[in-house]
Amino acid sequence: MIFQALQSLMTPTSLFAVFAGTVSGVFVGGMPGLTATMAVALLIPVTFTLEPLTGLILMGGVYCGAMYGGSIPAILLRTPGTPAAVATALEGYPMSQKGHGGLALKVSVISSFVGGTFSVLILLLIAPILAQFALIFGPPEYFLLAILGLVGIVSMADDENKLIKALISGLLGLIIALIGTDPISGMLRYTMNMTDLYDGVAFLPALIGMFSISQMLELTGTKSIIFEPSTMKKIKREPFPKGLKKFIAIGSATGTIVGLLPGEGATIAAFLSYNFARQHSKNKKLFGKGNPEGVAAAEAGNNGCVGGSLIPTLTLGIPGNSVAAALLGGLLVHGLIPGPELFTKYGVMTYGFILSLFLANLIFLVIGLYMSPYFARIAFTPTELLIPVVCLFSILGSYAMNNSLLDIFVALLCGIGAVILQKTGFSLGALILGLILGPIAETGFSQAMIMGNGNYAIFFDRPQGIILWLIILLLLIPPVIQIFRRHRQK
Amino acid sequence: MRKFLLLATILFFAFTGLALAGYPAKTIKIIVPSKAGGSTDTSARLFINAAKRHMKGANFVIKNVPGSGGQKGFEEIANSKPDGYTIGMMFTPQIVAHIVSKRARYTLDDFHVMGNMGKDPLIIAVPKNSPFKNLKEFIDAARTKKLTVAVNGIGSDDFVAAKKFENLTGAKFNLLPTKGSTEQKALILGGHVDGSFMNITQLHAQHKAGTAHIIALLDSKRSYILPDLPTAEELGYPVDMTATRGFVTPKGVPEDTAKKLDKLLEDVMNDPEFIAACKKDVIILKHMKGKEYHDYLVGLQAEIQKFFDSTPW
Repeated sequence: MIFQALQSLMTPTSLFAVFAGTVSGVFVGGMPGLTATMAVALLIPVTFTLEPLTGLILMGGVYCGAMYGGSIPAILLRTPGTPAAVATALEGYPMSQKGHGGLALKVSVISSFVGGTFSVLILLLIAPILAQFALIFGPPEYFLLAILGLVGIVSMADDENKLIKALISGLLGLIIALIGTDPISGMLRYTMNMTDLYDGVAFLPALIGMFSISQMLELTGTKSIIFEPSTMKKIKREPFPKGLKKFIAIGSATGTIVGLLPGEGATIAAFLSYNFARQHSKNKKLFGKGNPEGVAAAEAGNNGCVGGSLIPTLTLGIPGNSVAAALLGGLLVHGLIPGPELFTKYGVMTYGFILSLFLANLIFLVIGLYMSPYFARIAFTPTELLIPVVCLFSILGSYAMNNSLLDIFVALLCGIGAVILQKTGFSLGALILGLILGPIAETGFSQAMIMGNGNYAIFFDRPQGIILWLIILLLLIPPVIQIFRRHRQK
Repeated sequence: MRKFLLLATILFFAFTGLALAGYPAKTIKIIVPSKAGGSTDTSARLFINAAKRHMKGANFVIKNVPGSGGQKGFEEIANSKPDGYTIGMMFTPQIVAHIVSKRARYTLDDFHVMGNMGKDPLIIAVPKNSPFKNLKEFIDAARTKKLTVAVNGIGSDDFVAAKKFENLTGAKFNLLPTKGSTEQKALILGGHVDGSFMNITQLHAQHKAGTAHIIALLDSKRSYILPDLPTAEELGYPVDMTATRGFVTPKGVPEDTAKKLDKLLEDVMNDPEFIAACKKDVIILKHMKGKEYHDYLVGLQAEIQKFFDSTPW
């Protein structure tokens, strides 16, 4: 069957679909405000008229391409093209500032490729087994997973970013996340009677504000991102740093596992991978100042999500995240019902689709490697050109997400707020973590309490929960010990 | 000069006459109060495909206004210019539930109801290895001990259906609100809850694949999607609950334009190609004309008001 699937993939139409999908995916991912979810959703009506396989391949290509594409502007301009690339920006941009933008891009594309390919391989080989694994995660586990992510705030503190400030930023994120409808009672919280706020502060516009717009504000007054143009020549000759394998592996595995949990997205996968890398690194001090290890883990993490998220989508009909949900819609349109039949009766098509994802990964690898020296030049764009263009796309992207004017103000407000926070030494990464994970923690906690009839025991009497507690402790102990030591030294 | 004026007058009336006769003279915007790619959005896109065949020269464009359970979109429809060039999709029970909970900045009187297009009846599902094999066992168990059931948020169709069961049978449910069908599916397939109230199109695939078990359909008749699935009424529990999806325009559209639009929906509903496309997409069609659907909405609002008064949310 695999052979047949390969044959159906090797037709000119299919090959063109992979190519077109991946290239446009990289483009979509690279534009702040355009997301993979949006692109895949918009493609669905187009796929009505196409063969089911061609349509799926196209959407798969966009998905893979966009996950990688988001990292390009994240590294070069600190304006992540997709939310999943925020963690990449934390390390990638400082690298660019030092003139290592080309290298960061190379690390990013290779890690993306490895992470993506690994997760698709898992999807191809052991999807049904892992789907069962995804199902053992219930509300209590989602709460613990969110806590696991929030632990990252502690490790974001270092000599310059004081722990107390990181915690305050995280709390600020959690507070912003409170705005909207209470997930359990349906009560409105701090919505100020604005319908636009009923679903909470839109995440993407807030992110665009905090990263893109604040970055443009900070750039005013400088000539270009890189201080010394002489560093540019070095880019091509820079050797690939050693010892990244471990971090790519961490990212790939984390991305795949987080991806296959229904509802958890690439953003969380990237942040968790980044955090794990930070814990395991020998160069902890370098983090936050341009460590390629962080880029490698984050990018392997968000691309690892692709294969992971498709596992529950194809086997159970439960989309792993919003892009997978849109893809699922595309499947159902053609009367293809997720489940065992998809791998037997419609096996040629399903395996064709999975194999096409390998190809998509390969395509963006080639594009990325070939183009990165050219992309890297973006960092030399004079700011008088760069600032208006990026701001324009940022505003456009904020509005386009929900067709909401309020979102533009959210973006602008977050932009100004972020500049102030950064100048005063509060960590943006911690704030983002709070913002993303707050709702997950809250929903998981309240749902678990309902499930357990108000008894806290539900968080401790399930084996999967115990394992998560152990990981949380493991992540928490080293930084806490460090803080104590530092305290004593003083 | 007089000739010129005469000519101008004639031309003026001729053109306005033409414009009147020539509805639609420009693109008709359809406001869809949900995300692109969802089933409401898909219905609207299928509608457009068919509508172009029945209204010659007409062009349609979709504007997705997702968020807040459709409320943002409903408000935008109610506030748009009633010139016949903005119509919208709406869905129940959300459109009336927002009115009942006093959040909406519209009432049903702000709309001209074109008619209903589709429905999505509710079902009760249990995990595949649940101790409850049928509805009777499920309800009996819920009478003695609170069962945890997942619903799609407070005030949703799932929530109302569960409340209806509680009122009719004396069963007690521990309601677990979720963010939507994805979460509900994961809870049922993972066996984290005792049961779930959801829509048939959301879970029929898993029922067929054997990963979840649907025990009852809350509709007056069996569904063609799962013909073997008994209705709750057959099983002795006369509870009916279905989501519906229809078309409205803002109030005050010129009468003949409104008639044209109503007729268009009727024509589309009878279009065999449209019917086939909907069947393929698992969209269950159910036509109700404007008046009938309006009465349905008024009745639904009164019914939900009752639940709201007893347990407000």
